[in-house]
Amino acid sequence: MGRRFQHGIWTLAACGLLIGAVAANPARAAAAADASVDASIEPSQITLGESARLTYTTSGRGTLSVPLPVVSGLEFRVVGQSSRFEFVNGVSISSTSTIIRVTADEAGVFTIPGPTPKSPPLVLRVNPSNGAGPSLSNPAAPGLNPLNSGALEANGIRLTPDGSAYVRLEVPKHELYVGESVPAEIQVGMRDGFASSINGLPKLNSSDFTLNSLSFQPERSAKVIDGKPFTVYSWHSLLSAIKPGSYSLTFEAPVTVRIRTQPRRDSILDDLLGDPFMQNLFGPSVTKNLTVTSPGAAFTVLPLPSEGKPADFGGAVGSFKISTDVSSATNTAGDPLTLRMHVNGSGTFDRVQSTMLAADAEWKTYQSKSSFNQADPTGFRGEKTFEQPIIATKPGVQTIPALSFSYFDPGTRHYETAKSAPLRVTVSPSAADSAAAPPPLANAAANAPGAAAAKDRSGLRPDHPAASARSDSLVPVYLRPPFLGVQSVLALLFAGGWVALRRRARNARDLQRHRERVRRAAASQQLQQMAAASGAGNTALFFNSARGALQQVLSLDWQMEPEQVTTGEVEARLGPEDQAIRQLFALTDEANYSGGTPRADFERWTDVVNHRIQAHPA
Amino acid sequence: MKRVMSCTLWAAIVGCNLARSDAPPAAPSAPASAGYSSSALYNSANAYARAGKPGLAVLNYERAKLLDPIDPDIEPNLDRVRQRASLPPLPANALIRLSHAIPPEAVAWIGFVGLLLAGSSLLSRELFPRHRGKLLAVALFGFCLLGITLGCAIAVYPTLQEAVVVGHSVEVRVSPTLLEEPLFVLPEAEIVSVGAEHEGFMLIRNSAGRTGWAPNANLALVVPKRQVTSPAL
Repeated sequence: MGRRFQHGIWTLAACGLLIGAVAANPARAAAAADASVDASIEPSQITLGESARLTYTTSGRGTLSVPLPVVSGLEFRVVGQSSRFEFVNGVSISSTSTIIRVTADEAGVFTIPGPTPKSPPLVLRVNPSNGAGPSLSNPAAPGLNPLNSGALEANGIRLTPDGSAYVRLEVPKHELYVGESVPAEIQVGMRDGFASSINGLPKLNSSDFTLNSLSFQPERSAKVIDGKPFTVYSWHSLLSAIKPGSYSLTFEAPVTVRIRTQPRRDSILDDLLGDPFMQNLFGPSVTKNLTVTSPGAAFTVLPLPSEGKPADFGGAVGSFKISTDVSSATNTAGDPLTLRMHVNGSGTFDRVQSTMLAADAEWKTYQSKSSFNQADPTGFRGEKTFEQPIIATKPGVQTIPALSFSYFDPGTRHYETAKSAPLRVTVSPSAADSAAAPPPLANAAANAPGAAAAKDRSGLRPDHPAASARSDSLVPVYLRPPFLGVQSVLALLFAGGWVALRRRARNARDLQRHRERVRRAAASQQLQQMAAASGAGNTALFFNSARGALQQVLSLDWQMEPEQVTTGEVEARLGPEDQAIRQLFALTDEANYSGGTPRADFERWTDVVNHRIQAHPA
Repeated sequence: MKRVMSCTLWAAIVGCNLARSDAPPAAPSAPASAGYSSSALYNSANAYARAGKPGLAVLNYERAKLLDPIDPDIEPNLDRVRQRASLPPLPANALIRLSHAIPPEAVAWIGFVGLLLAGSSLLSRELFPRHRGKLLAVALFGFCLLGITLGCAIAVYPTLQEAVVVGHSVEVRVSPTLLEEPLFVLPEAEIVSVGAEHEGFMLIRNSAGRTGWAPNANLALVVPKRQVTSPAL
């Protein structure tokens, strides 16, 4: 009670100082002619990441407005202010001190301008950091002291040198077999008020072990270590050994902590404050990113024995039991069933594999699939279920053979084989098979005398007398291959014959056209001879040429050779309307055989021949 | 030309013998030991329908209809069974109605005679040009007869590629394996067309046009691939 009251008094006092400092902000504009300002910095040499204290002291009457200096690479922040009154020889002298924290962003030598133009500048030397943090690697660094030193290995926990955080690994056993998994708990403890955040998941510093994915959100709990309150964040996972040997495992976690920059002698007052929040509020500090490492945990990893290893051992290490069931105890041949195998227990479930039932004459099997239902967050305990579609190939009472699963039990240090019990399934004939089977007995009743004509109560038309023709195929006759073959052959024959006849007719037409062209040419030549004979007055030549022209034309009509068109043919074939042609043939014979020259009207006979030639179709 | 005519005569003789092989046996009442009978299939379908097996009933009605499409009792009973199974009536276009109006043997004869008439008329037109008009009319008549057979073949041929769902709620999957999730479910007695077969599965297309793989055990082809020998049929 008394300690808490003391804390309250100090808290109120600190709040009053804070309010006073805010009210007396040096940025406020007010000045007096007889006031003076002094500046000092302590220490003048720091390491990167540490802070120095810059003090502005104003003395005399009145106040001065002193702005914060601006230096590239340095950060200035007012952390406190104090006033003092002195009476010397009856004269009061007041002085005000403003404390400014100076933090460097980079190493180097910095010149800080004085508070007034007449003030000399201050020099701050910032040395590079050695990479291990400002005070953790060297707690005795000047100007910076750890808050709680000497807190290592307290309660089996190794705190950071400043006592702000720790990382710890908890496992149930330290002797493992290769492939064996053990549940692991990784704890990151952060002292309240000093460690501000965890910047990432804990990381395993070993390639000889594997760690299952950690949960994103850790469990959070409170813990008191050496009288100091800590918040503990816990991740649960499975730690597995990869190869045999002896190892020392460490974990590390990135955290952000607040580091005190106040000298040790000044921290006694802060420690008396007790409240970490108030300590950090009034104690000058900076935030730093640290990597906290756990103490090494010794592990011995043993190899799996080679003696007694089952042939179907797949690498599962743990303690398991199996059971099997089937989706239905009765089924139809051809319908799929689902065979399930349940593997319960604890261990490396990702190595729990099974080929399930192999195909045989009674069962057609398919590829199985598995699912895992974990009983704890790490998946160390749970049930893995394998599902395999299987199809019974034969009707009747069929037996699904027993399934087995082999694993290594680290408790007994021997390989074990778990076996399930065989399952029985009653399989009825499939519907497709019964399509060819005899119909139900209802058909026999329907075929009874008199039943065929009776009206069916189900609304179906009655059965027929079983007297129809039988066929060896359900395919209609006109779609059977023999019929289609005969039809195709017939069609090909007809098509071939038709094409042959068409081609023959076309050839005949071509020959006829050629013959016409030749004979027309000959007739045209005869007409020219007629014209020549007419001009020369040669009657015999004229009539012979005229007859020759007509023979060419008439032979086309009568489908014979021109020489076969004689006077007798002309007399026999031509009608009375062609009397002139008869006369022309007679005059030609007279001119050839009588030796005389009959009187001729060349112009008339030329017209007769031309008319007959033109009358012939081209 | 003589050769063409002799070939035509030979084809006619073969066609006659072919049609005669499907003629009824000499003693229709004598029990046959093998083969399909339309009346036996019809009676079986009725029995399955009464026994509450619409899939097998529809299958046997379809088979009976192939053998005797003009039977007036098959179509009403088939529609009634499908109606009970909550399935829509089968579609019927002009070609299907035509195939249901003529016995298969008559369709075959019509096609044979039509081809003879059309082919011989076309040949005669080339040989006897003076009668081209009359012979053209005869050829057109022959083509009409041939068209009747062709129309019936077009109407019936899809049935030869069909199967009837004989199982209850048959699941159709995207691939021929039971590991896939079902795409849809086929009701019993639905008629589907079969595209392919693979390791106990059939690639089917239902009346809605959806395709997938269904187990063979739950489907029965309307025209089985292997010859079925059953005293009951």
